[in-house]
Amino acid sequence: MSEAHFTPVEEELAHGAESPIEYLGERNLLPPTMTMRQLTETVCAPTELKTPKAWWIGFGIALMGAGILGASVSWLLFKGVGVWGNNSPVSWAWDITNFVWWIGIGHAGTLISAILFLFRQKWRTSINRFAEAMTIFAVMCAGIYPGLHTGRPWFDYYMFPVPNSMVLWPQFKSPLMWDIFAVSTYFTVSALFWYVGLIPDLATLRDRSTGDTLPRKVRRFAYGFFSLGWRGSNRHWQHYERAYMILAGLSTPLVLSVHSIVSFDFATSVEPGWHTTIFPPYFVAGAVFSGFAMVLTLMLVCRSVFDMKDVVTMKHLELMNKIMLTTGSLVGYAYAMEFFVAYYSGNQYERYVFLNRAIGPYAWAYWSMIACNVIFPQVFWWKRMRTSIPVMFVISILINIGMWFERFVIIVTTLHRDYLPAVWGMYSPTIWDMGVYIGTFGFFFTCFLLFLRWLPMIALAEVKATLPNAHPRKSHAADHADDHGHDTNLAEEPTALPAE
Amino acid sequence: MSKREKYSFAAAPATAKKFWKSLEAKENPAAFAKAAEPEFPMGVGTVEDAASVSRRGFLTVATATAAAIGLEGCVRRPVEQILPYAQAPEYLNPGVPMHYATSVERRGEALGLLVTTHEGRPTKIEGNPEHPASLGSTDLLAQAMVLDLYDPDRSNAPKQGEAKKTFADVDALMASIVRTHSADAGAGLRILATPSISPSFLRLRAAVQQRFPQAKFYTWTPVNESNAREGARLAFGEPVVAHHDYQGAKIILSIDSDFLQTESGSIRSARRFADGRRLSQATDSMSRLYVVESTHSTTGANADHRLALAPSKITAYLRALAKELATAHRIELGPLGAALQGASNAGLPTKWISNVAKELVGARGRSVIVAGSRQPAAVHALVHALNAALGNHGATIVFSSVADTTETDQTASITAFAAGLEGAKTAIILGGNPVFDAPADLDLATKLARVETSLHFSGTHDETCHATKWHVPRAHELESWGDLRALDGTVTIQQPLIAPLFGGRTDLEVLAQLAGERNWRGYYVVRQTLRGAAGVQNGFESEWRRVLHRGFVAGSAEPPRPGVIDMSRVATALGRSEPAVDGFEAVFLACAKMLDGRHANNAWLLELPDPLTRITWDNVALLSPKTASELGVRNGDMIRVTRDGTSIELPAWKLPGQPDKAVGLLMGWGRKHAGRYGNDVGFDVYPLRRSDALHSAAVQVAKLAGSYPISQTQDHDSMEGRPIAIDGTLEEFKADPTFAIHRSPTPRTLPLWREVEYRGHKWGLVIDLGACTGCNTCVIACQSENNIPTVGKAMVAKGREMHWIRIDRYFVGEDANEPEVAFQPLACQQCEEAPCENVCPVEATAHSPEGLNDMAYNRCIGTRYCANNCPYKARRFNYFNWHTKNEADEEVPPTRQMQFNPNVTVRMRGVMEKCTYCVQRIETARTATKIAGRPMRDGDINVACAQACPSNAITFGDLNDAASRVSRQNQVSRHYKLLADIGAQPRTTFLAKVRNPNPEMSA
Repeated sequence: MSEAHFTPVEEELAHGAESPIEYLGERNLLPPTMTMRQLTETVCAPTELKTPKAWWIGFGIALMGAGILGASVSWLLFKGVGVWGNNSPVSWAWDITNFVWWIGIGHAGTLISAILFLFRQKWRTSINRFAEAMTIFAVMCAGIYPGLHTGRPWFDYYMFPVPNSMVLWPQFKSPLMWDIFAVSTYFTVSALFWYVGLIPDLATLRDRSTGDTLPRKVRRFAYGFFSLGWRGSNRHWQHYERAYMILAGLSTPLVLSVHSIVSFDFATSVEPGWHTTIFPPYFVAGAVFSGFAMVLTLMLVCRSVFDMKDVVTMKHLELMNKIMLTTGSLVGYAYAMEFFVAYYSGNQYERYVFLNRAIGPYAWAYWSMIACNVIFPQVFWWKRMRTSIPVMFVISILINIGMWFERFVIIVTTLHRDYLPAVWGMYSPTIWDMGVYIGTFGFFFTCFLLFLRWLPMIALAEVKATLPNAHPRKSHAADHADDHGHDTNLAEEPTALPAE
Repeated sequence: MSKREKYSFAAAPATAKKFWKSLEAKENPAAFAKAAEPEFPMGVGTVEDAASVSRRGFLTVATATAAAIGLEGCVRRPVEQILPYAQAPEYLNPGVPMHYATSVERRGEALGLLVTTHEGRPTKIEGNPEHPASLGSTDLLAQAMVLDLYDPDRSNAPKQGEAKKTFADVDALMASIVRTHSADAGAGLRILATPSISPSFLRLRAAVQQRFPQAKFYTWTPVNESNAREGARLAFGEPVVAHHDYQGAKIILSIDSDFLQTESGSIRSARRFADGRRLSQATDSMSRLYVVESTHSTTGANADHRLALAPSKITAYLRALAKELATAHRIELGPLGAALQGASNAGLPTKWISNVAKELVGARGRSVIVAGSRQPAAVHALVHALNAALGNHGATIVFSSVADTTETDQTASITAFAAGLEGAKTAIILGGNPVFDAPADLDLATKLARVETSLHFSGTHDETCHATKWHVPRAHELESWGDLRALDGTVTIQQPLIAPLFGGRTDLEVLAQLAGERNWRGYYVVRQTLRGAAGVQNGFESEWRRVLHRGFVAGSAEPPRPGVIDMSRVATALGRSEPAVDGFEAVFLACAKMLDGRHANNAWLLELPDPLTRITWDNVALLSPKTASELGVRNGDMIRVTRDGTSIELPAWKLPGQPDKAVGLLMGWGRKHAGRYGNDVGFDVYPLRRSDALHSAAVQVAKLAGSYPISQTQDHDSMEGRPIAIDGTLEEFKADPTFAIHRSPTPRTLPLWREVEYRGHKWGLVIDLGACTGCNTCVIACQSENNIPTVGKAMVAKGREMHWIRIDRYFVGEDANEPEVAFQPLACQQCEEAPCENVCPVEATAHSPEGLNDMAYNRCIGTRYCANNCPYKARRFNYFNWHTKNEADEEVPPTRQMQFNPNVTVRMRGVMEKCTYCVQRIETARTATKIAGRPMRDGDINVACAQACPSNAITFGDLNDAASRVSRQNQVSRHYKLLADIGAQPRTTFLAKVRNPNPEMSA
């Protein structure tokens, strides 16, 4: 299939004018010639065919990265948090920067799966599984930091409301406490959402795992176990859709709440540069921004490696670029507004912090952030740029870098020079800071590659529902001859066969 | 023994009824007996064995064992004083600390101390409030001294060369020395000691001199008072000590004198100086301090006007000032007037001559001119003359005699010692470290090597020990019996707090052995001296107890007297004019931390930031910013300082206020044999210090390639225009006595929730920035009270130092070469609306009902969120286990553990810590007053920083007690809250500094 968009003629050829997707004002997303069987084959292939060499190479590298994580964390636990570059006054540095960064990345997944679902944005179906998986792994990476950056990680359980004889409870006034609940809720709901969405597809995989060899049996058992006896009955679908809708409803506030609460870590403090009301929306916009950038980066690679160009089309990519342009501009607005408010407040500490960001010793970080987050994404105003794979790949990576710098700028440049000049200081990371960060990438990609290898990376059932063939068409029914016996209301192939 | 008959199983009557243990035993006793044989045939007690030990016998042995363990294991006290715990003194409660009065010598002054001991371990040093030199405070070095006691690198055995010897060997050696020199009347015997103010020392020295008439005594200490003594000898014909009344004086002119920090008697000076400047209302007056100095000292930092002059120009300035006084103001200088005719104002700022002269004349009899110990004798003499002419003698300046009137110029003495070593058989060096710190041209090490028998008595195996044949451990001052004569004549007792940890002899004991005293132990020596002193002949034992209790002989102070000056001798001395130096000059500075190098292995002091440069773990060459830019050096760049072919290389550092072309060199660093912490730390500047110019010398300076990393605790000098360390001029204060609070107002917004009412105690701390001299004593006091670890140079560079209280130092003003300095001691402010508390997720920091911001270390998991949210950045985090993972120690040295305050938790890795207002002291006082059945009163509690502060800048107490000192301080109009606009309601508050500049100086 070509990268190019479908001409209106092609689309017209493919289906009638009244499929639900068109009814909602969207265009068809997949190539008109794509059939359900083709779709199933395309999506299931990576889990069924022989593991490609590229996967092994990638997995090997990722596993090494995870090993770096293990080594760095062991050293950290053995020696103490002092192996990092954190100091006084910069008590938080890469640890919380990376925490916020990873959490932010996760946001795209939830946004795509929940909010876009509720808004009936059918185009999400091609990327939601992928994005949700990314969310879960990103939140796992993020979770490493608050757990390990404490001085005595073996007492982290003090942060949980564990009943104890001392009647000691966590302090619910602390935003860190809110974080614990927000992030753990977020992780739980995201994981559930992802898993529930997976059930019909797992059943498809189960049903395709025929044969009597041991690996096939194991496959069948594993997919069978996790598909919870899905048989695709009407009743199943009804429950499934309802559960999915409820979870989407639950997830939707989380998209806004998690990063809002993460921003409260800063916004409720008294530090100039942190103590500001713009943080919650600004953080959420930034999170979506970075999340989409990360989805795009990963998607572009997978799409080409696993030959999914027909499922994840240019149209998807372009829509994602539009979202990035929007959120990037929101973030840019927030940067400008922060400066204005600092000036307008008349508060000398606020003013100094922002001037220091722009012209102080960490100005390079600030301007990297501005360039990556505000300036470069502006190229997406041009359709040619929006639809150019190399451009969007580079920009998506730049956005990821820029958003990392945003968190670094917020955390480090605020702390390193706050109220009393006598305690101003500088921060520089150590090899162990880098080790943990690189390690989280290793861990992330390890998980992600396993996901790609063993689970359907595209939400099969959902994408099928967007296919023109999934919907009753007058023309088809009318033209239907009785020489073949399929039900015109069903796909060419049932989503899942009844269990034997 | 009891009259009751001893019961034993063996004594049980054999004819008793037959009891049987079992049927088997009854039926077949023989077989049963065999079976019932002891299972463990040997070495295990049976009932029969026990019969031979009576209950009382057992208890006796057990008690003795326990006592022995007690004596051996933890309680180390002087042999003369030990009482076995079998008869424990009534007043001794394990866990309740005891306090003993003792003293220590500091630059010719006896510093009265009260030392806290826990179960026999000295842990904390405080000033003796009744002692005239201490007034209840201490200096930096006295606070740190307790760590020197537990220095893990202290010498633990006598050594001959590298071979370990015993004290019996030392005694044999001493006996042989006595034998040898009995033959030659001491002709080959040379004894070098540090200048002593000990009556016992002087008595024994005379006794040794009598026994060995040919023996020669010398004295040397690198930071000495020789110039002052010689100056007094010139002016008065005898080496008297001047006592300045910095409190009563209206105008104070310091001629290169750092009387607030490194000079002799600094504690008393700092207290009196601060007392003369404590403003509480607009009608109060304050003194004005002019400082003319050759470096930027702590005193200079406290000056109202400061003139930085190269060392060679200071004499010229004083001459010009004297001439101005004599000519313009008709001050009667007698024959001196003629000698000053040649003085010129060339190169000196005229306003500094005319205005200062005018001020001094305007405050006749109420001014003080003081010269620093670096200044030559002639300057001291001229200062005496000017003070006399201004009518200050007998008014603001009085005199007393010195302890040792025979003491000669130190440089001459050490030079003679070096020269005399040629024909010497035996050289005994008592204390000091002359091989390291004597003038470099004397080459003592080589000369000592040629002496047949040389001994060095020293606490550590230092540089001098490596040059002598023998090394004998010298007891620490806290382990020694001794007596000291304070500058005002008060006879002060030095009593040991602990038996020498590693054995050790004191100077007195060595001299007593040489003198052939039968009871040569320090205890007897001191008692004998005191017994010999007038007034304590009758009832000596009770007087002795009183003296030990008080720490000094009451009423032994000499009545102060005005001096009778001989102007003509001063005029003659002035005739010898100083050569002018055109190029660079090196100034050898007594380091506030190392003094002369004796504290080089003290990790507290090494890590303490220098009062002005804020540099830790190093010394640097101080340059003025202008000179540095002329040389093209940046901070940390290496430079070479050369004097007549000898050169040293060390990093340069720009210190605003340093005179141009004057290279400030801090002495005492760069030691080779100091110990694990101090070896090769910093740079040794002694190689440039020679007998011909001890205090300053013409040098060449060259920039070298490369730079050297320096660790500072503060690298930003400007206040950025923020109202932080608020100060104002006296005029501003008079116009608006509440100027400070107007610059840092508390917002008027209503609180979000009902504010807590503190019904019981409400602890508060007020810091008077006007009184704070920036000396850093509080930092070390806090460190020793609260078991605060040191972290090492690399970690300081990372900003991980652990000091709970720090002194922020800001430079103020436009001209980088003439800055004003603002000091601000800063610890946890104990905010009432503490930002740290509500961000802790585990509630490890919470408010007490008395308003303390408490830390629960056990609960802390170390998120560090509290530190981020602290506007004052007063919280310190244990990034590692500092007590074990510092640069030098793998584990806490056992001796170091002995210093720990048992009432303060030793924090582990990963927890946050901060100032607690010495909560352990509050609780101790609470317990004591509860037992006594009375409420806590003002003064029952003092926090460590406040107690140590020489200038009484810190006041602690109960804000709910309207009569308490802290409440009264809180009412002073200069009062303000730091960063009040955040609304954290800090409980610690400040009194703004008021400067008293002369408006005519800026005209």
